[in-house]
Amino acid sequence: MKLLSSYLKEMKIAARGFYFYIEIGMAVLLLAILLLVISETSISSSKQFVYNDMPNKIAKYIKDQSIKDGDARLADSTEFKLKPAKFEITNQETVETTAYAFDDEKIIELETMEMLDSDSGELEETVYYVETEEDMIRLAYGESEIGATAAMNPRGKVSYTYYLQGYETDRLESLLYISHSKSPGVINAKKDRQVVRTLGVAETLNNRQNLVPLFIAYLGSLMGFFIVLSYIFYDKAEGVIKAFAVTPSSIWKYLISKIFVILTTVVVSSSIITIPVMGGQPNYLLFYLFLLVTTFALASLGLFVASFFDTIAKAFGVMYGIMITLMLPGFSYYIPSFDPLWLRFFPTYPILQGFKDILLNGDVGYVLTYALVFLAGGLALFFLADMRFKKTLTV
Amino acid sequence: MIRKIFAVFKRDLLSSRRDFLAMYIIVVPLLLAVGITLFAPGLNDTTVKLAMLKSDDTEHIEYMKQFAKVELFNSLDELERRVAKRDDSVAIAPTGHSYEIILQGNELEMVEDYAVQLNTLYELGATEEETTARLMSFGRITPPLKTKLVNMLIAMTIMLAGMLIAMSIVEEKAENTINAINVTPVSQTGFVIGKSLLGGMAALLGIIGAVLITGFYDINWFMILLVGLTSMILSFVVGFLQGLSSEDVIEAAGSVKLLFLPIAGSIAVYEFASENWHWTVYWSPFYWAYKANNLILSKTADWGTVLLSTGMVIGLSLIVYFMALPKIRKGLS
Repeated sequence: MKLLSSYLKEMKIAARGFYFYIEIGMAVLLLAILLLVISETSISSSKQFVYNDMPNKIAKYIKDQSIKDGDARLADSTEFKLKPAKFEITNQETVETTAYAFDDEKIIELETMEMLDSDSGELEETVYYVETEEDMIRLAYGESEIGATAAMNPRGKVSYTYYLQGYETDRLESLLYISHSKSPGVINAKKDRQVVRTLGVAETLNNRQNLVPLFIAYLGSLMGFFIVLSYIFYDKAEGVIKAFAVTPSSIWKYLISKIFVILTTVVVSSSIITIPVMGGQPNYLLFYLFLLVTTFALASLGLFVASFFDTIAKAFGVMYGIMITLMLPGFSYYIPSFDPLWLRFFPTYPILQGFKDILLNGDVGYVLTYALVFLAGGLALFFLADMRFKKTLTV
Repeated sequence: MIRKIFAVFKRDLLSSRRDFLAMYIIVVPLLLAVGITLFAPGLNDTTVKLAMLKSDDTEHIEYMKQFAKVELFNSLDELERRVAKRDDSVAIAPTGHSYEIILQGNELEMVEDYAVQLNTLYELGATEEETTARLMSFGRITPPLKTKLVNMLIAMTIMLAGMLIAMSIVEEKAENTINAINVTPVSQTGFVIGKSLLGGMAALLGIIGAVLITGFYDINWFMILLVGLTSMILSFVVGFLQGLSSEDVIEAAGSVKLLFLPIAGSIAVYEFASENWHWTVYWSPFYWAYKANNLILSKTADWGTVLLSTGMVIGLSLIVYFMALPKIRKGLS
């Protein structure tokens, strides 16, 4: 009963302040961005500048053939500004260096083609055809993109000269070399005969849905850590915690009522983002269970950290250090090939993967296991925070 | 006037020594800069991971190692278990006289293409020696991802400095010292500038340190300092508005989250949207600061663009400041 009245009191206070409404407003705004700005299919931003050193008729035939085969489509021509620049180019094999200097500034319009994946029809790369090799090199340098000269010899064979930026990996350079060691026809014919086996029909999230776990984990669960700290420091400044020493209510009820306010806010804001984007697809029972447990664990961590400091200013370094550390697994989530072992020990790693699994109706065992881990960890941290607050009542 | 401004600055500097807040604003970007320096090579080398059998041809394994990260396993079961893990890893396993490529089914398309292409080239016996391609290099060594991360770090430092100013104002409000300013010889403008100097200086030092730690020594330092100084004005305005509009520390914390949106939005539009859509964030000073820093860090900046960007940062910050001036005056009285 005391717990309920504490919670209701905290909710009334939260409803009077701006914070609760900021959270709701943010969730609505993020939902609008997801629905209106982020497309369902990912759009490749890869670009290449190409100069065709061959008769125009042949270059046109090659482009038309790509369009006919469904490998490319013609797009509106694009304007580029060439700025004055000075740079050097090194031949990777001979290590011979050539200096270039351009003083003029000009605007050129380039024929633009979008290269497509032959199976899915999705955009893979945008290619801009440049009329002179010099302009192609200037653009590759100025736009920091790959440039290429496709030259045809008298026997009709095409060879490529690539202009790289210099930071590309050795592996990419090696791949470029061997990709041009056999004729494209031979490579494509052999490629079509490759045997590919898929272990199962694995569902994937589309570009828009893929952002939902990030928004929930970072703006929901992780913010719970930050906000509970702010609440506690506010109450410390106001002397509310000290007042608990002379009331019949216990400290843990006060602390848990703070966490309940955070849980309520996070449930409302996460629902605003998730339901319209995901519809009826995920298992919502599992979703809310995981959301509550992870938010509880991170809010308990916030309480524990708050117990060591008496003002937010003093806790600032630790607070920001923890928050930034917890954000790091986002890199691995967004770049799946970057997945070092040490990153998996950060609590936000299983939170992101868990939400992804829930949205995909994936590995329930993984979600439940980590729900248990977060519950146990959260309870332990809450217990420790309660002990510290009881002992000190302030710090 | 300047003496009074420095008196406010000195008082803030002394009080910040008690809780190390200003120190954090300087130290946090430096620590993150160290993190970026350690992180960036791994992020740049995100080639495909291949799982292969230990019993496979040594020649095959060595061939693949030239182009991908290769992990070796004892049995087909182990290979399949590896592929089924959460990250994108593809297995290439021998099947009689040929090979099969094993996928989990949820990999990025380019991962599958890469593995197929590699195995095709191996089966064709393609070698670097018989290539017809030539590679030329502009000699740049800093990957664009590192430039972006450092630029984001600069944006975050501006936000942190704004937060330092906001927190210090909320603190003044809680202590009721803000009203006392009105009966001192310090003018309101002097107080605003004096209170903002600490956050601004901390941000500037943090930015310079972070840029140096991440190895951007040979950039145009006049340009980066100009953008840094204009960003200081930006953090003044942001911090003051945050501080004065927040009644307590919880609201200040909430408004940090609100502030995160124009910063993240400006960066997202600059990085991911086509240039035709950049006008949608021309209103945001963070867009102009990010753009100018990006050009400077990638060493493609010209003075015209830098001056235009810094002019926009100052102009937009001042517009916001003058629009909010009645509110600032009210908040201070």
